[in-house]
Amino acid sequence: MIRWILGAWAVFEKDVKLELRSRYAINMILLFVLAALFLVAFSVGQEALTPRIESALLWIVIVFSAALGLGRSFVSEEERGTVLLLLLHTRGDMVYAGKLLFNFLFVLGLNLVAVVTFVVMLGIEVISVSLLLTTIVLGALGLAGATTMLAAIIARTATRGPLLPVLVFPMLIPLLLAVVTATREALPGGEGWAAAGNEMLTLIGFAGVVISASIVLFDYVWYD
Amino acid sequence: MTTLAKRIVQGGPAGVNVRRYRIIRNIVLVAVTAIAIGGFLIDVPRIQILEHTARNLYFHVPMWFTLMAAVTFSAYHSIRFLQTGNLVRDVRAREAALVGIVFGILGLLTGMVWARFTWYQGTNIWWNFDPKQTMAAVQLLIYGAYFVLRSAIEEPQKRGRIAAVYNLFALVTVPFLLFILPRQAPSLHPGADGNPAFSDFTAPEMRWVLYPAFIAFIGLFWVLYTQRVRFSLIKLRLHGDSE
Repeated sequence: MIRWILGAWAVFEKDVKLELRSRYAINMILLFVLAALFLVAFSVGQEALTPRIESALLWIVIVFSAALGLGRSFVSEEERGTVLLLLLHTRGDMVYAGKLLFNFLFVLGLNLVAVVTFVVMLGIEVISVSLLLTTIVLGALGLAGATTMLAAIIARTATRGPLLPVLVFPMLIPLLLAVVTATREALPGGEGWAAAGNEMLTLIGFAGVVISASIVLFDYVWYD
Repeated sequence: MTTLAKRIVQGGPAGVNVRRYRIIRNIVLVAVTAIAIGGFLIDVPRIQILEHTARNLYFHVPMWFTLMAAVTFSAYHSIRFLQTGNLVRDVRAREAALVGIVFGILGLLTGMVWARFTWYQGTNIWWNFDPKQTMAAVQLLIYGAYFVLRSAIEEPQKRGRIAAVYNLFALVTVPFLLFILPRQAPSLHPGADGNPAFSDFTAPEMRWVLYPAFIAFIGLFWVLYTQRVRFSLIKLRLHGDSE
């Protein structure tokens, strides 16, 4: 068990170090989120939006950026030719756990940046900050769980890059519905925690099921 | 026809039993014809706003059931492919998904037309975010992505494995829609929030057509599916790849 944690941590640490060295993904996603939010803010203009539309726009931007940013997590290993090294030194589930942890923190950071920018730019009032934060964390977990597995899948295809959104969007519909509803409850006109219990359960269940399914299926993708 | 192809068509371990196939095909042909005739000619009770559109029950509901059968078939063969690595399993998973898409689109269209000309008569609403309708649409999107993914991988064994993983992985998220969607929009289907249950309004004489229709449509699925599988198996044996 301790070996497993150390192995997964080593994969995670490697990804963090590589990312901090180049900062390619971080900068790209940061700019993508900011540019997309600017587009949304300018196309909306001074119009007052309902909380439902506000949360829908926010999460659509987040889902698109996550699908764009996480697509590289396994493709980069193929391109650098480091897949064989990982295969030799670690087991498949360690690689999955390390990548999942990295992607989770990545999406969490992305969500925080997106939400703060969105709230400031559109002048949104938040009535339940704790609910919004919980939604962001659980949403990031489900999003990272689904995209990590699919990133491993597209690294095996011939075209690699642009396939990820096509594969991931149909799966994310339950997640998207739950996070949008929960976010709406955290904005004015919502009822806060009292009305979001069902959505929280859905988010926990979604993340749990997606991650368990990934653990079962990952080896079939990872080993040739 | 080469002897090899003949052997595949006429049976063998991975092939299809042709005599059994012909018997079932003829039964299905008769049954589907009988359902079409019976569905339009046998009298139905006139319920408020449904009126004669109640006959759509004989076609819409079996199509939706057939999609579910196809999804189960496809997922089963995907699991078996991951266990055995036998390409015949991959062919079966793929063809079940393909024929399932056809029935799914038909079920979706019959449902949309039905809702438009009864509950939404006089409005312009075609898509009503009904939970079951959305679930079927999501499953069709998943199968669309499944085929796009298949076309992106060259090598048959790898393509089968990756596609099977995606098929199963995407499928586990669909049941969540059952939980989350009814809170978003009310359902038009029986048995959902306050709607009368299916048995409350279905007249006994309608079941004489409906229950055989389930068997007839799943039989039709089976006929199309085995045809496609035989065709793909011949390609698999002749070219070493079924696509």
